[in-house]
Amino acid sequence: MLDHIITILIFFPVVAALLGFVVKPHGIRAYGIAVSVVEFVLSLVLWLLYDPSVSGMQFMETVPLVPSFGINYIVGVDGISLFIIILAAFFTMIGIASLPETKDEKNMIVTLLFLQMTMVGVFAALDAIVFYVFWELSLVPMLYIIGAWGGPLRIYASIKFFLYTFAGSLVMLVGMLFMAYFYYQVTGKWSFALLDWYRLVLPLNYQLWLFVAFFLGFAIKVPMFPFHTWLPYAHGQAPTIGSVILAAILLKMGTYAFIRFSLPLFPDASVYFMLPIAVLAIIMIVYTAMVAYAQEDIKQVVAYSSISHMGVIILGTFAMNVEGISGSVFLMLGHGVVSGALFLLVGVIYERRHTKLMSEFGGLADVMPRYALIFGIMLMASVGLPLTINFIGEFLSFLGFYHQSHILTLVAGSAIIVGAVYMLAAFKKAFFGNVTKEENKNLPDVTKTELVALVPLVVITVWLGVYPKPVLEPINNSVESVVELMHAKATTKEAKAKIADVKAMKLASAAVKEAE
Amino acid sequence: MLEPINVSMESLNIMTLAPMLIPIVGALLILVVDLAKPNIDKSLYVMLSILFLFMDFMSLVGSGSSFVQNGTVTGLFDVMLIDGIAIVSEFIIVIASMLFIPLALTSKRFHEFSYPEFFALFLFMISGFQFMVATDNLILIFVGLETASLALYTLIAMHNREKSFEAAVKYFTMGALSAGFFSFGAMIFYAITGSVEINQIATVLSANGYADIGYVMIGVAFILAAFAFKLSLVPFHTWAPDVYEGSSAAMAGYMSIVPKIAGFIVAMRFFEFLIHSGVFWVEAILYVFVIVTMTAANIWALVQNDVKRMLAYSSISHAGFAMAAVMIGTTQANSALLLYWVLFTFTNLGSFSMLWISRQKKLLPGQSSDHSYEKFAGMVRTSPMAATIMGLFMLSLAGVPPFALFWGKLYMISSAVTAGYTVLALVMALNSAIAGYYYLKLVVYMFMKEPVDSRYEKVFSSNLSLSLKTIIGIAAIGTIFAFVAVEPLLQAIGGFVYNSGY
Repeated sequence: MLDHIITILIFFPVVAALLGFVVKPHGIRAYGIAVSVVEFVLSLVLWLLYDPSVSGMQFMETVPLVPSFGINYIVGVDGISLFIIILAAFFTMIGIASLPETKDEKNMIVTLLFLQMTMVGVFAALDAIVFYVFWELSLVPMLYIIGAWGGPLRIYASIKFFLYTFAGSLVMLVGMLFMAYFYYQVTGKWSFALLDWYRLVLPLNYQLWLFVAFFLGFAIKVPMFPFHTWLPYAHGQAPTIGSVILAAILLKMGTYAFIRFSLPLFPDASVYFMLPIAVLAIIMIVYTAMVAYAQEDIKQVVAYSSISHMGVIILGTFAMNVEGISGSVFLMLGHGVVSGALFLLVGVIYERRHTKLMSEFGGLADVMPRYALIFGIMLMASVGLPLTINFIGEFLSFLGFYHQSHILTLVAGSAIIVGAVYMLAAFKKAFFGNVTKEENKNLPDVTKTELVALVPLVVITVWLGVYPKPVLEPINNSVESVVELMHAKATTKEAKAKIADVKAMKLASAAVKEAE
Repeated sequence: MLEPINVSMESLNIMTLAPMLIPIVGALLILVVDLAKPNIDKSLYVMLSILFLFMDFMSLVGSGSSFVQNGTVTGLFDVMLIDGIAIVSEFIIVIASMLFIPLALTSKRFHEFSYPEFFALFLFMISGFQFMVATDNLILIFVGLETASLALYTLIAMHNREKSFEAAVKYFTMGALSAGFFSFGAMIFYAITGSVEINQIATVLSANGYADIGYVMIGVAFILAAFAFKLSLVPFHTWAPDVYEGSSAAMAGYMSIVPKIAGFIVAMRFFEFLIHSGVFWVEAILYVFVIVTMTAANIWALVQNDVKRMLAYSSISHAGFAMAAVMIGTTQANSALLLYWVLFTFTNLGSFSMLWISRQKKLLPGQSSDHSYEKFAGMVRTSPMAATIMGLFMLSLAGVPPFALFWGKLYMISSAVTAGYTVLALVMALNSAIAGYYYLKLVVYMFMKEPVDSRYEKVFSSNLSLSLKTIIGIAAIGTIFAFVAVEPLLQAIGGFVYNSGY
């Protein structure tokens, strides 16, 4: 059974979702929790069986799908994807467990389970077409969640979300078909397998075009400035659970794909575009941080701060060295936990007051002390306080990019201060001062159901902030092999210089040890 | 004294005619049955049609296996040409027809199906299409085309609504014009090459190095215009939305599939040698046609208020998409066209059948058309199953993986990439994104809007019967599990196309 653990992880939720149609509505929540707990336990088993010292793919499975056209169902995990899969399983679980009373609860839970299949599928896929299938399919449940349970502008927001991403990924599909065709020209065989593509060294001008095609698909998903306009709408209109999954997992598809596709496939082009992308990332960090400061709606503050942190992830990814990329992968996890938690927290207060405007609150710390405490911890983590999960990721990302450009890193780092400003200002407005509104005086503090979701997130935030090694080490090993591959494949002089030479460094450190 | 000419039966190869003769025999039998005992229920004629189509299918299996063993067969003084693409397209025609004809067994009574002539004409039409694809003789193509078209005009008019007559007359007028164009184009080619066989024309033209390029271009212009009418390429598409609206939803779905595949095959045979001749203008004209058809039809579809008209424009856009394969002209592109059309058959027939089951006899007060978007608002509440299936067909048409049409689009765009048409590939991709909007619009109405009028609830599946359920079920399964079928289809189609030399 454990030979096919990845396939089980992918398809167990969807089988459960289909069977879920039969379950009567009053039992569906228990059913959903049971299924997602099993899925989460399975993902932990995967971690247990995973060998952290191996840097390559593990648990690989191959089933031919359209062999004559080179399409195979190939899945597997390495240190980069393993933890995001666990995170996806975890967030689906606490998302369902803490789901407030909604209309059409059954449809919601079935949709969430479908969504879980696509999320795990994207991160486990090692064939470009299989990746694309899950990538596109993830839009459909999200479209439904935003469009059916969202706010007043939900239909506009959901269609904007769908079309934006759909258009970007179709350009990416053309890029994939080009890759497969180049592979065909070189070897005489069609293949969409990622590990086959890794062996392909392309001339620089092809790399540039293909990089742009893939970049469009990924950048819209992340979303990078100037393609970010769909996200505030989506977050603003989505129900809490939609925002949580969107911020915690779905956005990570874009940054993950940069590491999985863009960097190892087009190392020269990545170096060529490094500065423009870094500039975009910095605009994204600084500009959205400022926009966040100007918001009156607390959910929009969290949404813009989430975009701002995604900029740091991009910066770390394009540092082209082990520190930067490991940092960005770790920050993906941290950002998932922290922004997911913040959206959950916003949902808690929205359930009670049905408003998200900060001016409606004030003095909440008196009325809801436990809520204020958890919010405070998560807010500090979001700002990047040392000993919380985000600090490690942000620090490593900046450290990595510092090797490439001192000035840009300093500019980006200064945005962290702006981040602290808007977050603390928002916290002040909502939680401190006197209770001014009559409605706020008797708000109940967080309930047990809500604590079920929030306490584990706090624990993870602190635990991985203090002791990140169990997660960081497997990530580091896998990232090393990616960087090694990039360095080996790079053809231009510039790229050879900018991409860290892991092998040489290893040899050097071994030599130093020997000398001692 | 004239020399006697001996014609041996073997050289005639009468068996090549079998697949076309079977539906004709069936049609005649239906007429005889009606003469002997009138006023029998339609179910008899439906089943008779299916039986004859099944026999037709079996004879195609026979031709298919003989093609695999012996290659292309010619017959009847080399007029019949049974090659791979003929066989594959006949399969598509017959299978689509078998899926269409049970749609006549609705729970409500519709005028046209009570006439046995409907079924006789239907079978005549199928044999016309089969003749069209199984020859490279321009005259026989013309005969097949007209047999099929005349039958089709009548079938549309039998729907017996004011709009149906308008549709039939419109279609007839346009069809007559295109027939004129076709025969004029064929005449020009006969004048400059002395033959009406496409391969002879190709040989003569390449032997004299396209000396009469001016005449060739005039001939191409006329024939292209004729095809453009039949395949509803912009700007010759104006009849299509009105005709689709006027005919029954089932018939509209059928018209978007079967007449077009026949047209594509003839276009493939005709443009094959012209594209490879290196005459720049042929390719340029086709390129413009393809791009304009895809894009303009998509933009028109965005602004429709009626689902059937939207699907009509979407079919035009899909036709433009498939026409790209004819323009590219490689083996991969031609296989992509056939693969695309097989997958399109299931999805499109499914979506039109879903409209067919919600067909009302009378419009509700305030309802603008038969299948307005408002009608489907909030459908998921009252008939979740029907809404899900309809949504599935829409997502497949939009090209969302892993549903049927995604694989067709994938292979089609790949053939453009492989042949070096990068811009075309990008235009195809972006058009799929534009198309996403109008397919999504229906999904949004069904899943996210509140119902407009509670009286619509009764309408969604008012026309449903067991046979319609079966057809929709087959279409849905074909759409969902297409990923399993792609490999064998690709193997089979690729082999047939390659061995026919296309």
